[in-house]
Amino acid sequence: MRLKVLPPTLRKNSRYLTVDIKITSPISKDDLVTIIWDACIRFKGECETSNFYLWVMKFYDLEKTDDYYHYKAIVRCQRGFVEEVRSSLALVNRHEGRKISMTVVGLSGTIKSSQKYI
Amino acid sequence: MFFDLNIQGSGLENNIKMARQASSYGWDHINFSYNQNDFKQALTLKDELHENLDDIIDFDFTLEIESKNINEIRKTANNFRSRASCISVVGGDLKVNRAVVENSKIDVLSRPYLNRYDAGLNHVLSKEAVNNNVAIELCFKDLLKTYLAPRAKVISNFRDIYALHAKFNFPLILSSRAESVFDIKTPQDFVSVFSQTGLAHEDIEKSFKTAFDILRFNEDRDKMILKGVRRVDDEA
Repeated sequence: MRLKVLPPTLRKNSRYLTVDIKITSPISKDDLVTIIWDACIRFKGECETSNFYLWVMKFYDLEKTDDYYHYKAIVRCQRGFVEEVRSSLALVNRHEGRKISMTVVGLSGTIKSSQKYI
Repeated sequence: MFFDLNIQGSGLENNIKMARQASSYGWDHINFSYNQNDFKQALTLKDELHENLDDIIDFDFTLEIESKNINEIRKTANNFRSRASCISVVGGDLKVNRAVVENSKIDVLSRPYLNRYDAGLNHVLSKEAVNNNVAIELCFKDLLKTYLAPRAKVISNFRDIYALHAKFNFPLILSSRAESVFDIKTPQDFVSVFSQTGLAHEDIEKSFKTAFDILRFNEDRDKMILKGVRRVDDEA
């Protein structure tokens, strides 16, 4: 049996971050989930990360250049914790020995409006 | 206005890539930094860079002096003063930190905490930095390239410098020291990281203004006769 959906006043408010990802070898959406969780836990700790309400909503494979594979993703986080998530993602440097760069290029209140940054 | 006075310069192609990336992320001005051995060679790239980047982003060159010899630092600064829009010296050595904050011909003391167990600054150096208008530079790359205990120590050193900045109000600038497109972030991410380490938003905004002021001051530096006295051309 599924839980009944919470009324809007009891739901958490979300913000959607459009994340620009460059990495030297290809990754999947599952890899990205691991990278994001690891980054947040490493920089802000387990207790603080529990507030972030993180979820990778969409994952876009954009292009491959000479230097890197280019992806974008829409990541959900809780309103009020945007700066914490942004800083954690910005400090990602390596993943399994591969160079990676993540930076937030857009911030929106809905998934639809965050797609304009893709 | 988002200014980054320290992007590690290299070849023409890499510089163009980094400048385009910085522009697409929202930076307004970048300075490519070269050490004293490569600076003259780097100035020859200026025209080609202007051809490629004129409509994209403002750029200039920073001379980054890396030496532990105080006399060499002084001589190099005097030698390149008219050719560089910004002169910074890599700190870390206490003698170098002291000599740099006492020299008004130098604009920036970069990373006074480098390879140290403390911040490399105290109240005496802070007062000298204020008197001689020497900015203290903190680099994003030092946070980015470290992790766990070393990163915690870098953040701790940053916090000591923030405390001295709050008390003595010396010029503080923040820069990325990016070496490739992987090290360039959006200005908002850059601000978020420093605000998470304990720097107030007003101080971060002021740091970008300080970078702008350094470049503007150096445009007129050759017209300075004394501190506070400048030769003007217009006959009003």
